[in-house]
Amino acid sequence: MLGWRRFVWVGVGGSAAILVLLALFILAMNPYGNLPRILFAEHAITDINQRFQFPALIRSGAYDSAVIGASDSRLLRPAELERVFGGRFVNLAINAGQAYEQYRLADLFMREVAHPRTLLIGLDHVWCDDDADTVRTTFRGFPDWMYDDNSWNDFGYMLNASAIEISGRRLGVALGINEARFPAGYEVFTPPETAYDPVKVRHKLWKDEEPHAIVAAVPAYVPTSTERSRWRFPALAWLDEITRRFEGRVVLAFMPVHVASQPLPGSVEAARLDECKARIVAVAKGKSAPVIDFDIASEITTDDANYWDPLHYRVGIAERIVADIERALATRQDDPAGDWRYLDGPRAVAVSSD
Amino acid sequence: MLFHSQAFVLLFMPVAVGIFYALAQRESLRNWWLIAASLVFYGWWDVRFVPLLVSQILVTWLLVELSITLSTRWPLVLAIVANLSVLGLFKYLDFGATILAQVTGLEFAKASLVLPIGISFYTFELVSYLADRLRSDAPRYRLRDFALFVVLFPHLIAGPIMRHNEIIPQFACDPLRTGVYERIGRGLILFFIGFVEKFFIADRLAGIVDPVFKRATTEVPTLADSLTGALGFSLQILFDFVAYSNMAMGIGLTLGLMLPLNFNTPYRALNLRDFWRRWHITLSRWLRDYVYIPLGGSREGVATYIWATLVTMGLCGLWHGAGWTFVLWGVAHGIGLLVCRFWQSYGVPLPSLVSWAVTMAFVVLLFVLFRAADIAAAERMLVGLAGEGGLGTWSWSAVVPIAIAGSLAMIKVPSAELAMWIRPTWPVAIGFVAVAVLCILEVGEGQPLSFIYFQF
Repeated sequence: MLGWRRFVWVGVGGSAAILVLLALFILAMNPYGNLPRILFAEHAITDINQRFQFPALIRSGAYDSAVIGASDSRLLRPAELERVFGGRFVNLAINAGQAYEQYRLADLFMREVAHPRTLLIGLDHVWCDDDADTVRTTFRGFPDWMYDDNSWNDFGYMLNASAIEISGRRLGVALGINEARFPAGYEVFTPPETAYDPVKVRHKLWKDEEPHAIVAAVPAYVPTSTERSRWRFPALAWLDEITRRFEGRVVLAFMPVHVASQPLPGSVEAARLDECKARIVAVAKGKSAPVIDFDIASEITTDDANYWDPLHYRVGIAERIVADIERALATRQDDPAGDWRYLDGPRAVAVSSD
Repeated sequence: MLFHSQAFVLLFMPVAVGIFYALAQRESLRNWWLIAASLVFYGWWDVRFVPLLVSQILVTWLLVELSITLSTRWPLVLAIVANLSVLGLFKYLDFGATILAQVTGLEFAKASLVLPIGISFYTFELVSYLADRLRSDAPRYRLRDFALFVVLFPHLIAGPIMRHNEIIPQFACDPLRTGVYERIGRGLILFFIGFVEKFFIADRLAGIVDPVFKRATTEVPTLADSLTGALGFSLQILFDFVAYSNMAMGIGLTLGLMLPLNFNTPYRALNLRDFWRRWHITLSRWLRDYVYIPLGGSREGVATYIWATLVTMGLCGLWHGAGWTFVLWGVAHGIGLLVCRFWQSYGVPLPSLVSWAVTMAFVVLLFVLFRAADIAAAERMLVGLAGEGGLGTWSWSAVVPIAIAGSLAMIKVPSAELAMWIRPTWPVAIGFVAVAVLCILEVGEGQPLSFIYFQF
């Protein structure tokens, strides 16, 4: 028998001692690169939750240009983008990135980078969702505390099992057991090309239906001007702020979603997406930022072999997109082969009133 | 500040309890310290609510003093009306306006006042003291003791709803009296039992239950989903509230104070009357003493008994929330209590297992009403339980946690009593350290879910 006096001292003292040791371990390993650097001069990313890892990349001072977006922008390779735009690129696209999360990354980038050069915003439906202002984050969590200007408060949020696990991996990197991930934020996250299975992919793309021609809804849905004005796109206020505040060049590009997952032409959803695109063009116009739309029926989006699933294209397509962006910016025209539309204000309005 | 947060466990509690024991030998100082710490705890939620809480305490105490000085009762009645009016203003104004609008056809703008957290609980404590004074059944207290009775942080937000005479006399007891380490040790064990119940049981069940009830706002769920939702919520609310109560009792014990038991294995009840003797005991006791008995109770004929039961349970429902789902939930329980009473008086005794099953089916079905967003969503859930939405498929990830929680709910001894059985051995101490560290690390992963009863 221990006796209650010793039980209290062992229980409280033992718990406190373990927690202090764990806290010191986290402090020393600096798993998110956001704390004062004690042991390691360089931050090494060892976790896949980019929301926790990218603030340190932004603050590293190594980059003046960035991609923000969701996972459908993650394969845009920084080296390719540097060839097109110059500068030092970091890919800050995040898995299942909500518009708010992307806005926070862009906001941090603008606050931390002294002379920002280029910002490529990979757009998708999250910027057009009518609940973007209420569904701001995902189950993955979003560390608001890491995005403020006070790094002193960060440690108050880091005493947890995840930080310990990532600290362990960081130690592994230091010992040569693990490898760091996401150099310049980039990583090929799709499976190896040798694992590509067209049959399996087709099931994913067509949701177990047979591939078929996309037939437009007849008659096409034509929203009234009142209805269009009532559609909410709350995330566009953030997009507007980003494009206005960014001191360098801004390029917006709708990423290519497989045609079977695009809104059916002539449907209400398609009309709503068109309206969203028109409003994005209006937002971009204030900055004279080009808007390039790959989210159309094209050679890219109609060929099943270009995709792993409805949102995620293959590595080669990412290279084609970067090359297409380069050509689109040079020609300021729609692609004659139909890969993209170069959206400008008047044309986008015409689309929405079709 | 939630009990199950690092801010509370690693910062507030060590400071509050540490300074309390540093001042232990000076009754006045240590109790003023507890009042100050409790107001900080309360203000952490929303500092705007602190003046209201302090005002209600001060005005109530001053009116009691006035009543004593003038040897008259009207200040007590005024204090009761004032406290209930504040509760009515913040909690029921919009509900009342909605009813009035439906009855008169007129339109009323919504006030949309923010409900001060814990107001339902502390208002009932203030009213109970005033009612006891009216019955000449309560002593005069100095302001310090009276204020601490109301604001004592372990029970301020969600009870247990204490009576003045079961806690105020304890404030004078020396915290360092014999058994101090045992009280602190058992208190900490009870606190972490509650932590585990909240974080590892109730909050896990919330992840199963919430999507089902959300779906029911637009469509009829399948039988599998409806049953999962209904059973899951019945267990979630039990463990959520038991956890809070255990943590409150545990913190109280570390301060040398005994708070009353709030739950006594309610899902082992064999009939509805038994259920209400075991479920939220301190609220049931309050309603019995200050509503049911004053209305006549069971000793003034059948008609009075029926009236008193239905009004009491209707108020019980309304206390939980300003909405028809809560009122219906309460009245339905009232009807259930009447049926139970008359069955026991005139009916054929049921085998225990059948009696238990009928009782639990009734309780679980009514919790659907309690949890649903509105009457229409509750109807969809009930229709889903009748199989209208199809059979659906059972998910192991839902069934297994519900089965485990259900088994734990059937353990004969309330988890609060487990802490009183434990002996201080090395394995227990090591287990305590492991659980405490695990809980603190797990809760550090993100914003923990609030307790269900905080919204009442």
